Amino acid sequence: MQPLANITPLKPAGAVEVRNVGQIFKTTTQDVVALEDVSLDVKPGRFVVLVGPSGCGKSTLLMMMAGLRQQTSGTITISGAPIPEPDPNRVGVVFQEASLFPWLTAEENVEFPLALRGVTKSDRRARAQDALKLVGLDGFGKRHPHELSGGMKQRVSIARGLVQDPPVLLMDEPFAALDEQTRMTMGDELLRIWAATGKTVVFVTHSLTEAVYLADEVIVMSPRPGRIVDHLQVSLPRPRTYEMLSGDTFGSLRDRIWRHIRKSA
Amino acid sequence: MTAATLRRLIVVGLIALWEILPRAGLIPELFLPSLSSTLAAGWNEAGEYGHALAVTLYEVAISMAFACGGGILLGAIVGSLPRPRILIMPMVSSLYAVPLVILYPVFTVWLGIGSESKIAFASIYGFLPTMLATAAGIQTIDPQLLLAARSMGATLSQRLVRVIIPAAIPTVLSGLRVGGALVIVGVVVSEMLISSAGIGYLISRYRTILDSPHVFAGVLLVLAMAIAFNAAIKWIERKAAIWQTGTRAGQNAAEEITPTLQPAT
Amino acid sequence: MRGLGVKAARVAIVVALFAIWEILSRSGIVNPRLLPSASDTLATLGDLLQRASVRKDLAVTATEVVTAFALAVPVGALIGFLIAENRYFADVAKPLLFFAFSIPKSIFLPMFILVFGVGFAQKVGFGFFSTIFIVIMSTTTAVESVKVEHLTVARSYGATPMQTAFRVYLPSMLPVLLEALRISMIFNLTGVILAEMYASRDGIGHQIATWGENFQMKQLLAGVLMIAVIAITFNELVRWVETRCSHWRT
Repeated sequence: MQPLANITPLKPAGAVEVRNVGQIFKTTTQDVVALEDVSLDVKPGRFVVLVGPSGCGKSTLLMMMAGLRQQTSGTITISGAPIPEPDPNRVGVVFQEASLFPWLTAEENVEFPLALRGVTKSDRRARAQDALKLVGLDGFGKRHPHELSGGMKQRVSIARGLVQDPPVLLMDEPFAALDEQTRMTMGDELLRIWAATGKTVVFVTHSLTEAVYLADEVIVMSPRPGRIVDHLQVSLPRPRTYEMLSGDTFGSLRDRIWRHIRKSA
Repeated sequence: MTAATLRRLIVVGLIALWEILPRAGLIPELFLPSLSSTLAAGWNEAGEYGHALAVTLYEVAISMAFACGGGILLGAIVGSLPRPRILIMPMVSSLYAVPLVILYPVFTVWLGIGSESKIAFASIYGFLPTMLATAAGIQTIDPQLLLAARSMGATLSQRLVRVIIPAAIPTVLSGLRVGGALVIVGVVVSEMLISSAGIGYLISRYRTILDSPHVFAGVLLVLAMAIAFNAAIKWIERKAAIWQTGTRAGQNAAEEITPTLQPAT
Repeated sequence: MRGLGVKAARVAIVVALFAIWEILSRSGIVNPRLLPSASDTLATLGDLLQRASVRKDLAVTATEVVTAFALAVPVGALIGFLIAENRYFADVAKPLLFFAFSIPKSIFLPMFILVFGVGFAQKVGFGFFSTIFIVIMSTTTAVESVKVEHLTVARSYGATPMQTAFRVYLPSMLPVLLEALRISMIFNLTGVILAEMYASRDGIGHQIATWGENFQMKQLLAGVLMIAVIAITFNELVRWVETRCSHWRT
């Protein structure tokens, strides 16, 4: 596989640091504390999963890491520098369901972030081809999103997130809309892509099984106000296999997360 | 027999009946002249009809530019700004309930019975639905697409050109179709009411002298115009928005709007 | 509070429009003969409503509108039902109806005069013709808006056809039907008024056309205002019922 075009990253490339971050939403009647004193350190190249019940602010936190939303207090740095606005050279984002543009083909969707920066057509096409090959969609570039299955659409989304070769990939419940079988396959695919590229991944999910199966570390959050209640190291060896799902280590990790979530529900 | 075959048979049968019933004397020629005598009447006065058509088309073209240009522009502004939208949209759709024909006498007093009053009336007639459809089209854009574009660092103008406009095309086109059809109706109706030129004028003049074949020849000409316009828009729709065939959301939005905005009268 | 603010802002917009109208006319920026002031027009409107002839015209128009509506709705609804209930029939008829729906109806107005002459029948006939296609289309849409899942649930609990009709079909269709009623009325009113303006001896549409021909701007604008208020009031009334009936819809 060809390496993607390299961009000199800020140092330390791929580190995500969250320091005492708080977020307050002001509504007409009251102020809602969405996040309270959240601190988190993601080392370069790690696969970290944020898990927690609805309303715990995990997606909000991810949007802040992407520069799509600003925290009320505290600091967030990506590769050592704050992120006041989206910067696709440092952070790629993959959204829930396919947020692909329906009027563009798969490869045009992948090229989109490059087109925004005025990269030449031929250069764009070459890099989009590489990214599509990386996610296993070689030869599907000319199709429109409605001609692709749910899993394939998410592969295109991942390719789009990776096309500028950012050291950090943020994923907001990317597989939530897929059926369970596709979801398992996509999990394995994501791990393969992650191993091949060495990206830092921050992944938000509702699924406990998905969390433990994918992660190096699982961050458990609780709602009202959103806080980190546990931080687990997943010691399962790589590559992860389907058999591990029924092992004791897996079961005890998942139980530990579930107890936190049940308590906060 | 397939539905399509039966449908064709019905159409052929209706056309045949149009010829046979008046010829056999089952329907008085005054009520419905036979197809052949209608065509013959039109053919014999081809010069007169051609001149009238030119006048009508000129009025339609200018009104279309006003109605569609203004409707799309204003619709885009109102649709993308939440405050004016909440404020104005319900007012505009209330206004849609008013039979606008009553405005035509006002325009004849102000602008005379020449082309100006027709253009003013038809522009207003076609303006409302185009504006409503465009505003609705802008509103139905999936917010996730905008978020994704922002995460890739798209500037405001890039979001407008690359996301908002292409996403709004299907609904804008359906607005254009309805608005354009109304412009044609508006021009012909105003010509029928008070004027001195155009196809509508010919229809009315021949009606007062009870010359049915010539009345129907004019009616056929307007029908042909409306059908040709419809076909042209459909062709553009196919060219401009192949992607829409697969997205239920886009299609639903377009269909939901269309029936409520069809040409009244 | 917010809803109230929006309503106040809307009232303010309308008031502002009337104020601009008043100023334009009074200051002489626009020739007051062509645009009589808002206050004069409103005074004329009040005056017109007192006149027996205008009241008679309104009554004539109302009779025509109601008659055309009362004929078009049941006939259209019946045809719409038949089409929606039979797949084959629907496949055959729908494209034809779509076509009939999309062509301008007003150009057939001379035909109604040729057939019926000038009078009540011609105006009601044209109102019926303007309305029936939208009624057919809306009924079809209404029937199709009934969810198959709901029908299956009703069947699995052993609902009789009557129960299915009243407990599943009717409540599912109600919001769509009300919307259809509203739009049909717009079409109907437009059709009747156009027919009156085109060739008629009475009715408010005829009166408006006459004022226009005689350059009686005050009466003309008052008439326009009167029709607009009537149409908007009816429209808002049905909408209000609509929101009451469909609050449970998501």
